[in-house]
Amino acid sequence: MPKVLIVDDTAFMRKLLRNILFSGGFDIAGEAENGKQAVEMYKQLKPDIVTMDIVMPEMNGIEALKAIKKIDPNARVVMCTAVGQEQMVKAAIKLGAKGYIVKPFQASKVIEELKKVAGMS
Amino acid sequence: MYMSESKGLRIPVEYFDGGWKKGEAVISKTAITFAGMVVPFKEIQDLEKLSYEGKEAIRIKKDRNYYLNFGNMQDQIFRYLAFNLKSDRFAVYFLSPATRGGVVVSDSRWDKGYLSITDEALWFLSATRQIRISIENLGSVEKDIRTVGKKQRVVLVITYVENGEVISSFVLCPETTMDMLEEYIRNIINRNKPNEALSEIEEQILTMVYTGVDSVSVESILKITTDELNELYDRLVNLGLARVVKIRKEIELTPKGVALVNEIMKRSAR
Repeated sequence: MPKVLIVDDTAFMRKLLRNILFSGGFDIAGEAENGKQAVEMYKQLKPDIVTMDIVMPEMNGIEALKAIKKIDPNARVVMCTAVGQEQMVKAAIKLGAKGYIVKPFQASKVIEELKKVAGMS
Repeated sequence: MYMSESKGLRIPVEYFDGGWKKGEAVISKTAITFAGMVVPFKEIQDLEKLSYEGKEAIRIKKDRNYYLNFGNMQDQIFRYLAFNLKSDRFAVYFLSPATRGGVVVSDSRWDKGYLSITDEALWFLSATRQIRISIENLGSVEKDIRTVGKKQRVVLVITYVENGEVISSFVLCPETTMDMLEEYIRNIINRNKPNEALSEIEEQILTMVYTGVDSVSVESILKITTDELNELYDRLVNLGLARVVKIRKEIELTPKGVALVNEIMKRSAR
């Protein structure tokens, strides 16, 4: 099963995503609470997919995406965005994000998107 | 739709009165008459297209709800009624839906028409489309900059919920109208918000229920007991933010059940 690194600055959103992904058959590689930590954990854990929140302290999701893409141009990063952040999503897609999920999200859509990105559907 | 000033348009209608009954409706410039009822347009509080008792119907709310079916004239009558509703109406350009579940709706087009606000709904009206958004489904309103016809323009972004998905629609109009609309719609949204602020845990439960997390997982994620969760659910229900769809049963085994489990285990050990 694909291993996912969950990146979000709120513990609740990380727990929620972990629950959704685990029920959807994904393995959880780890959790990071900001972009900087995500980049470090990406190097160590080499996850198959990263779910990346956009607005975070230390380093935001867009900067973290850039850094991860520098380390691994084939990295599969799915952006987690809120309604009204469409411009950010466009920027992320241009930078190589493979997909996005919109908060508040529904479990079925998250699984569908991640399976698509993982090449499982 | 043409009608004479004095007589109005007479058309066959089916109306619901304990069952669907055939009759005739008369639509004038100021009212609709059916089954001996006269409903002046300015007294219509709400209007909606929906499926009702096996038929596509138009729901007209005056003092109570009336359900009518006009057969192949349904769309035309609905449009006429929608344009004649008692409402505050503003000439705008609108793009609806612009996004659905956060994804851009690629075949959506800008329409010239009206943003019409009644007591119960907000409407986007044009010659070809009449979109009703129930006020209780409205989520937010704010100005944002979007690309319209290759130009960056300030638009009003209105979000709402439809079939469990968050939809956003854009409105383009003169700045002064936009300021007024933003305030007007924001007041409506605020009026519909619960009077009491939610606690952090209540907000988290609301989010999880939207996400589709089951009750057992909610308890496990939040580390709370079933009784505590039930209390929090009750509060969300009382605030009108959720409704009960299923009551979970918890059981314990009787001695007969325990004996049967022992037998099942022995059987599987053979």
